[in-house]
Amino acid sequence: MSQTLIPVLLAVPLAAAAVTWLARPPAVLYAVGAAAHVTILALAITLLTGVVGGAEPHAFGRWLVLDHLGGVVLLIVATVGFTSAVYSIGYLHHELTERAVGRGELRRYFALLHVFVFTMLLSALAGNLGLLWTAIAGTTIVSAPLVDFYGSREPLEAAWKYIVLTTAGSMVALLGYLVLYQAGVHVLGVSYDFSFSVLSAVAPRLPAATAATAFLLVLVGFGAKAGLAPMHTWLPDAHSQAPSPVCALLSGVELNCAMLGILRAFALTAPAAGAGRLRLALLAFGVLSMLVAVVFLVSQRDFKRLLAYSSIEQMGLVAVGVGAGVPLAVSGAMLQMVNHAFSKSLMFFATGNLLLRFRTRAIGSVAGLVHDMPATAILLIVGVLALAGAPPFSLFVSEFSIVSGAAVAHQWAPALIVAALLAVGFLALVWPFNRMAFSAPPGSAGQGTTVNPIVLLPAYLSLVVVVGLGFWVPSPLHALLSGAARTLAP
Amino acid sequence: MDLTEYVLAGVVLLATFWLLIARRIRAAVNGYSFQSWALAAVCLVTFLQSGRWHLLVMALSTAAIKALLIPAVLRRLVRETVYDRRETRYYVGVPSALLLGTGLSVAGFVVARQLPLVRDLLGEPVLGVSIAVVLLGFFIALARRDAAMQLTGLLVAENGLLLLGLVLGAGLPMLVDFALFLDVLVGAVVMGFLIARMHETVGSTDTSELTRLRG
Repeated sequence: MSQTLIPVLLAVPLAAAAVTWLARPPAVLYAVGAAAHVTILALAITLLTGVVGGAEPHAFGRWLVLDHLGGVVLLIVATVGFTSAVYSIGYLHHELTERAVGRGELRRYFALLHVFVFTMLLSALAGNLGLLWTAIAGTTIVSAPLVDFYGSREPLEAAWKYIVLTTAGSMVALLGYLVLYQAGVHVLGVSYDFSFSVLSAVAPRLPAATAATAFLLVLVGFGAKAGLAPMHTWLPDAHSQAPSPVCALLSGVELNCAMLGILRAFALTAPAAGAGRLRLALLAFGVLSMLVAVVFLVSQRDFKRLLAYSSIEQMGLVAVGVGAGVPLAVSGAMLQMVNHAFSKSLMFFATGNLLLRFRTRAIGSVAGLVHDMPATAILLIVGVLALAGAPPFSLFVSEFSIVSGAAVAHQWAPALIVAALLAVGFLALVWPFNRMAFSAPPGSAGQGTTVNPIVLLPAYLSLVVVVGLGFWVPSPLHALLSGAARTLAP
Repeated sequence: MDLTEYVLAGVVLLATFWLLIARRIRAAVNGYSFQSWALAAVCLVTFLQSGRWHLLVMALSTAAIKALLIPAVLRRLVRETVYDRRETRYYVGVPSALLLGTGLSVAGFVVARQLPLVRDLLGEPVLGVSIAVVLLGFFIALARRDAAMQLTGLLVAENGLLLLGLVLGAGLPMLVDFALFLDVLVGAVVMGFLIARMHETVGSTDTSELTRLRG
């Protein structure tokens, strides 16, 4: 059954994009979008249940495979893809009634959104490394026009930086994958199936120096796409200028696809090149990213840029978790990816509601939200506490696992630095949102238009997940995460 | 046969220098088209050598997509939006660009010597050329202020990667090559679209004027 399930899963967003392109009335666009993403979610959960049960669904030989590591990313793409699609309906409908966008733009938006989700699903499902690269590089190409959606000067600047820097990064990663192919040639002969399962079977016999070179190239290249410092400079621009539902996908989901490209290369090269050396590189990039992000978090005046820098911090933390190398930290990093996806998309939904109402991104211009938009204020406050890693939320669990895992692995310096950075980052995140929610309402209270309730639904869904995961990680999810962690720290 | 492929690889490298010093966008597009023809010829030679059919397909698609289609799209874009005869600006002047470019080429050959290579179709000198072309492409994308020039820089780097793919992974299945071509084509179109928007919104394609986003 899984033989047909995977192709169907990939066909759904493409079919939705085609229908969207042909359809005219907004209601049809919304219906198609919602239906497509419900279907994707249902199919993905069916497939993931199989993976947890011990199956390895595949299609077209080894071109498309679903394993635990890809499964974590698939889970993120399907769930956050669904909430973002629903949020898009409310958000863009508001923009349409406010005449901020036209009907043609609406159609373009939804068509691109579906193709964007397709490229991310393909990244999670690609078993062949060439296909994996194509899918990850493709996510940029499809999402750059979405970053430029509003078409004024700033989004355009952001989109241009985004596409140039991440495409250059992807090319470096391709260089890495080609060197990895060459490493395989030493063992498997000049022509072989460049898939994850074939290479991982011979991974310990690859030439060490070539394998290490391949990993470093992929780390630097896709590191640029995953927002690791110092290749992160495009990220705060792109992740703040795009429409809010797109920001949720860029920050919450797309970064994880690039991280998957790095982790796959890590799993294949570590046995030959020595896991210790490669982990050191991951730790270095991870700690540097967190450091840079926290410095910019502290001085930030724009709430969407604040969230964007927080994404750099969180991806840095994922790199640290994998770099620490002990199972506790690595499975913490996997949980971190899931948690970050939900809490960051939640925050972009909540701040998106503010944007629709007040049309400003300046932290200083928003005040007294508990009086003005109580439903959104609750989202913001609970969401920012969750994102910053306050107990009892799930990010506290994953951050604690990563830091204590690093300590268990005797990586004392990274553990201490990361703990300190997380503390500073916590304050830098919570303080501004706290002020926006609770400070006295400004004289201009009541201005702006009311926002339709559809924008609250996906945000509250995410909130339920974020709160729920803090108390209880369902055992299938736990099995998925620890299975993925075993690939990276056997 | 060895000699032919080395000469062709040399032509690919020389074409990169053409792009490095080109002042006008149209000249850069012509340089890219010329380089792509040379690359298609390399594919053709390796096909004749090895008889692997997917190399012939690659030669044909390189010629069709990279030597003809993308340059045609770019020329049209340039005609419609950018003043194609206008001289573009550099962050790095031509003499220093040439000097740095030569340094990067040497670096490419040095790196190639470090990589233990199982020779399939092409040898180490071509590997050196391909790494040099990738580095030069990135350099062009960085050193130019004009968005259209930055795009040609990335396209050149991608040509270098294709040549590198021929050296390191000629056994890769054809579907992978097609996926890469699709990425290049769609990527070039999207970037062209953004360049056109830039011309509309900002009034020029000089990226040094895009400095509103900071902090």
